[in-house]
Amino acid sequence: MVIAVASRLLLRRALLAVPLVFAVVALTFFFIRLAPGDPAQILAGDAPTPEFLAQVRAEYGLDQPVWTQFLAFLAKALTGDFGTSLYSKQPVFAVILERFPATVLMTGTAMIVASIVGILVGVASAKRAGSHADTLISSASLLGYSMPGFWVGQLLVLLFSVSLDWFPATGMEAARASYTGWRHIQDVAWHMVLPVTTLALFLLTMIARFTRAAMIDALDQDYVLVAEAKGASRNRILWHHAFRNACVTTITVIGLEFGAVLAGAVVVEIVFGWPGLGRLFYDAIYRRDFPLLTGAFMFSSLIVIGVNMVSDVACALLDPRIRR
Amino acid sequence: MKTAATLPTPWFAPAWLVRFLRSPISTVVGSLLVLVVVAGVILAPLITHADPMALSSDTLLEPAWAHPMGTDDLGRDELARVLYGGRASLVIGLFSALLSVILGMTIGMVAGFFGGAIDETLMRITEAFQILPKLLVAVVVVSLIGSGLTNEVLVIGLLSWPATARVIRGRVQVIRHEEFIAAAEMSGASWLRVLVRHVAPNVVSFLLVSASLQVASAIMSESFLSFLGLGDPAHPSWGLLLQQGQLFLSDAWWLTTFPGIALAMTILGLNLLGDGVSGSRIVAGSRR
Repeated sequence: MVIAVASRLLLRRALLAVPLVFAVVALTFFFIRLAPGDPAQILAGDAPTPEFLAQVRAEYGLDQPVWTQFLAFLAKALTGDFGTSLYSKQPVFAVILERFPATVLMTGTAMIVASIVGILVGVASAKRAGSHADTLISSASLLGYSMPGFWVGQLLVLLFSVSLDWFPATGMEAARASYTGWRHIQDVAWHMVLPVTTLALFLLTMIARFTRAAMIDALDQDYVLVAEAKGASRNRILWHHAFRNACVTTITVIGLEFGAVLAGAVVVEIVFGWPGLGRLFYDAIYRRDFPLLTGAFMFSSLIVIGVNMVSDVACALLDPRIRR
Repeated sequence: MKTAATLPTPWFAPAWLVRFLRSPISTVVGSLLVLVVVAGVILAPLITHADPMALSSDTLLEPAWAHPMGTDDLGRDELARVLYGGRASLVIGLFSALLSVILGMTIGMVAGFFGGAIDETLMRITEAFQILPKLLVAVVVVSLIGSGLTNEVLVIGLLSWPATARVIRGRVQVIRHEEFIAAAEMSGASWLRVLVRHVAPNVVSFLLVSASLQVASAIMSESFLSFLGLGDPAHPSWGLLLQQGQLFLSDAWWLTTFPGIALAMTILGLNLLGDGVSGSRIVAGSRR
């Protein structure tokens, strides 16, 4: 039953996502055209040989009218052909897929940590709304929200790596050891502590703020009064009655902020030398590797659209009123 | 009961100061933080005689009396760089927020006022813009069209309007059905006149909140771009200083600590100000 509803919803959201995917590819194409100079030059790098320039021109149909060019670009992008990286000479898609797991590991862990802690903090401060503890939590989350992620990361490195030497400052695993099995997992987890904390902090403050507001709203509703009158325990009212309604807001926030989280991951990866998509962006900017840059951008945007789709479906499953 | 405004006030506590100190604590703290930053940035030449661009052989000096925030790898005075760097950050923040607020207000007013298919179309576009990872879009565009103050302002401004548009749309939907709008329409005012003369003045107080949060977010976005090396090297902003600090993270803590404090102070101040204004009487009493 749930699976049937979910798949129907997913299908409908997927249809809504089609124009968005189309828009991302069109925007990317537009940006390449927008750049000053010859698009072939942009796609072929700073000092291409005349042969390579001609090859790129033919490959992208750049001698054709703009509309034909766009259709060729679209057809390539939709089949996962994002071109060839100018630096590594590898297909862009392959380069991205190679780096993707590291980013998923870090971002995924950060999102799980941020969701759990953010929800607990949000619910706790809604329960005591107006108290000193609530004010303190709200101020702390505003402060956390006001600090750029990469700076938080730099401060954590200064404190926990440079001064205290508790955690490694960069990388994903120890450079000189080649651990296997359980030791390897421990080593990666050790390297993950600081970057995950940095990335989670940003999302955590958002989740806590919005969960708190939604919980205060939910606790004010009649169904909470009814549950209280029927003698439900405090915890049951809080989690079963109020939070089930408030979590739609939480999930929506996670979906909407996912783009910002991914952008945050880019800078956090740079601060901590984490070998993921973020470093790829950075290197692509520096090497003026435009096929890689636009490819990584399209790839990330599609992930963001996908996550939003899933969060929409999750909300609809939790709240039947949203299933129109 | 006499209110503070009607009581005679001594010279050291004029009415406006009393009123200011009675506003929510977040407004007071927020304004003070912003005031300190803006004063420091504007009065930079009075605070330090050091030239932010002057090279010297005193490289990577720890903070001391001669260089309160130390020096960087090229021997430049970090205090001067932080103070002058604020100019780039604030200018980009202000102008891109201005652009995004004007755009957001226009789109929000049109959507909320006309409703129907226009509203539906504009809101779908707004949602699409909200889902797109705006910072990554900015990275791609600035890499392609080149960095520079103007490009940064344009890119950040053009990507940041959705939040304002949604707030304004919601507000306009509420006042759309008020009698004074109907009266203006019946007296033959054109839709443009109704929007500009009757709707706009009623949403301006909401813009105040939005603008303050927009400036904060724009400064944050600028620091993100600069940190990725897409800032304007001719006008080093706080983000650019932090990018340089990253290279000397384990040798020179002062190169990341001080620009970051300036950046966080500014953003916190603006966020507090936005929070405070939205909760205070400035908004609540705007339609008396």
